[in-house]
Amino acid sequence: MAPPPETAQPGVIQIDETKTKEDLATPWNVIVHNDPVNLMSYVTMVFMRVFGYARPKAEQHMLEVHNKGRSLVWSGGREQAEHYVHQLHSYQLLATMEKSEA
Amino acid sequence: MIELRVQLLDEKHVRISGIAPIMTAVLREVPEILEQRDSPDAHARLFPNPTSANDKINKEWQQTVNPELRHLFVSAGETVARDLVGIGAAKTVTESYEITFPVEHLKAWMSALNQTRLILAEIHQIDEEDMNAAHLDPHNPKHVAAFRIHLLGYLLHLFVELETGDEPANAV
Repeated sequence: MAPPPETAQPGVIQIDETKTKEDLATPWNVIVHNDPVNLMSYVTMVFMRVFGYARPKAEQHMLEVHNKGRSLVWSGGREQAEHYVHQLHSYQLLATMEKSEA
Repeated sequence: MIELRVQLLDEKHVRISGIAPIMTAVLREVPEILEQRDSPDAHARLFPNPTSANDKINKEWQQTVNPELRHLFVSAGETVARDLVGIGAAKTVTESYEITFPVEHLKAWMSALNQTRLILAEIHQIDEEDMNAAHLDPHNPKHVAAFRIHLLGYLLHLFVELETGDEPANAV
């Protein structure tokens, strides 16, 4: 695959892949996984910043990550899911995306 | 008692005051620890794959997204390293230090502190049990690393409070 173009801007993901209609139609889930180091207050702040969640919702997801090991924090189109995973990685949270089975 | 505080000095500056000598020592290690971000374990943690099983997406991510992430992380570390040069010198071990830096550096500070904590954890294979240990043995390198992670975590928590407008926690 070609390297990123010189015009790439910070925060913009450039992935040169042809997406099929099925890819675009199937929802993708963004999952955040637990780790022993990230602070609970920090994770809550990241959810508020990245997703614009109000504090109660951000804390609910943070606690789910802490208690259950993972939390489905967002679901939707693939490109937006990639954007969110990128943002979460930039805050050093362990995040992955997976195709929704629903 | 030295009270660690993070506050907005004015509209353009943040001040960390009440930095105990032990915290100063750990902060001064931050740039050196950040240089280990490309060690295999630390690299895997700071630049994780975006999917658990899709090799194609993971490979593309490594090639296109991770260089940008790396630039972001390195830039944050360099900003903090420059700010740390301005740390005021205390005259005795019982005095505290302070640092003042532009408010625009706040995000870089949070990134660099968290990177440092994660790198220390990976290098020393710190797990949940180590992080929650009630007693930290000063002769155990793993426990010393956990202590540094907690210390930097307390400062990071104060930054989060400043960023989110929470009431400041009591000093340790």
